Amino acid sequence: MIDANEIIETNQMVASENLDVRTITMGISLLDCMTPDLDQLCENIYNKITESAKDLVAVGDEIALEIGIPVINKRISVTPIAIVGSSACKKPEDFVKIAETLEKAAQKVGVNFLGGYSALVQKGMSTADRLLIESIPEALAKTEHICSSIALGSTKTGIDMDAVKLMGEIVVKTAKATEDRDSIGCAKLVVFCNPTDDNPFMAGAFHGVTEGDRVINVGVSGPGVVRHALSQIRGENFEVLCETIKKTAFKITRVGQLVAKEASKRLNVPFGIVDLSLAPTPAVGDSIADIICEMGMEYCGAPGTTAALAILNDQVKKGGIMASSYVGGLSGAFIPVTEDSSMAKAAEIGALTLEKLEAMTCVCSVGLDMIAIPGDTSASTISGIIADEMAIGMINQKTTAVRVIPVIGKKAGDEIELGGLLGNAKIMPVNPYDCSAFVNRGGRIPAPVHSFKN
Amino acid sequence: MTSKIIVTLVGKDHAGIIAAVCNYFAENDVNILDLSMTTIQDYINMILIVDVEKYKKTFPGLVNDLDQIGEKVKCKVTAQKEEVFNMMHRI
Repeated sequence: MIDANEIIETNQMVASENLDVRTITMGISLLDCMTPDLDQLCENIYNKITESAKDLVAVGDEIALEIGIPVINKRISVTPIAIVGSSACKKPEDFVKIAETLEKAAQKVGVNFLGGYSALVQKGMSTADRLLIESIPEALAKTEHICSSIALGSTKTGIDMDAVKLMGEIVVKTAKATEDRDSIGCAKLVVFCNPTDDNPFMAGAFHGVTEGDRVINVGVSGPGVVRHALSQIRGENFEVLCETIKKTAFKITRVGQLVAKEASKRLNVPFGIVDLSLAPTPAVGDSIADIICEMGMEYCGAPGTTAALAILNDQVKKGGIMASSYVGGLSGAFIPVTEDSSMAKAAEIGALTLEKLEAMTCVCSVGLDMIAIPGDTSASTISGIIADEMAIGMINQKTTAVRVIPVIGKKAGDEIELGGLLGNAKIMPVNPYDCSAFVNRGGRIPAPVHSFKN
Repeated sequence: MTSKIIVTLVGKDHAGIIAAVCNYFAENDVNILDLSMTTIQDYINMILIVDVEKYKKTFPGLVNDLDQIGEKVKCKVTAQKEEVFNMMHRI
């Protein structure tokens, strides 16, 4: 029989430590929608999504009510649209039409984001890939719920530097296209090295071509729960610290496993994976930076932060892997600056810099995430930032990403308000020195050697 | 999911709280399997494990009824299925 203390512990996690299941994401393959006729393609896409996900939101809410733990987001990921639209789209505007169809479908089923407006160009761009990338600024400006992700490199293929250069320009154009809303379009656009096919988190979710027809992936959360657990063991050694994170991660992940299995059963869609990521929100206490501080740093970004994050990331994986039958996605700790109020505060006072964040991405689950930068940052500088991050992912065989927001008309130190889960923050300064001669070389960085690891 | 439900009640203590909850369960064929209660200063904290196998309404119906009882006795009453606790605390 369940013990009263266990009941109280679980309910306290929800009531005062922000425990929730961050997302149930339904992956839907659109490969069977493909046709050379654009109107027919859009109709097929709309019908497939609205039919597959018609009960997704209701089932998510039902499970949340029954277990007493909030399921915050219900989302959809689809097959990369550059593949789906490859024979029907002859110009960027054709892809925008697909984006608008996706938006209509997302609104119809009531999800809060739909990901997969994507292209996978790790080694090179096809005509369709280039057209989709060129359509991104307009597509993200004209839609509200659509997220776009572009894969620019991998450990196996190297880095497509032509695409890196193009994406620097596209990030700037997307910022300008949504200038009236603090360049929010860039918050829905991410570039990846070594992307995962089953990531349930936005903006990077897409339904990989290796996946089945439909799948349920669940992303857990709970930084507040980890921070609370660590507050009980202040001053203890690293063995106790690591054990505490591991045990807490186990408990959090078990909730994700339960939700994933139930959602899979009720929607009659196969269970894919549970993503073990600790995802912060702007809510007070729901912060990765607070965990870093609880581990002993005055502010996130102080010397020792990278080591602390490495411990956190590794122990979350160790605890979570046993708690779920299938683990996947990104699985680790996210460090999105605007979405984490304590991280935004550390950046504001100068404790956390872009360079320190780059070091942290070597050991965390993703990369430079939700960082507001000055609006006059050049496209080549953004490409340089992207190239650095792709290189870290390529060499270290891990997923890395860049989601920066050049806020048009604002400079370092100015405040932006993105609202909701995206949060707010001050704009961080960027290294002012030029890298355009490097970025403009063009071509491809070869795949790295897989031996002689030093 | 199984038919066991965990009901928790928190609020300021006064006469009739347990009666209100337990009468509802008796009237609706809900069997109480376990009950623990503590009062700290003036506050009551009660946890019941109940079996709803013979309960006729749906789970949202139960949540709604308990909300109304909670309002009447000025306590917060919540119901959760047992699985989440088993998953979290048992390997």
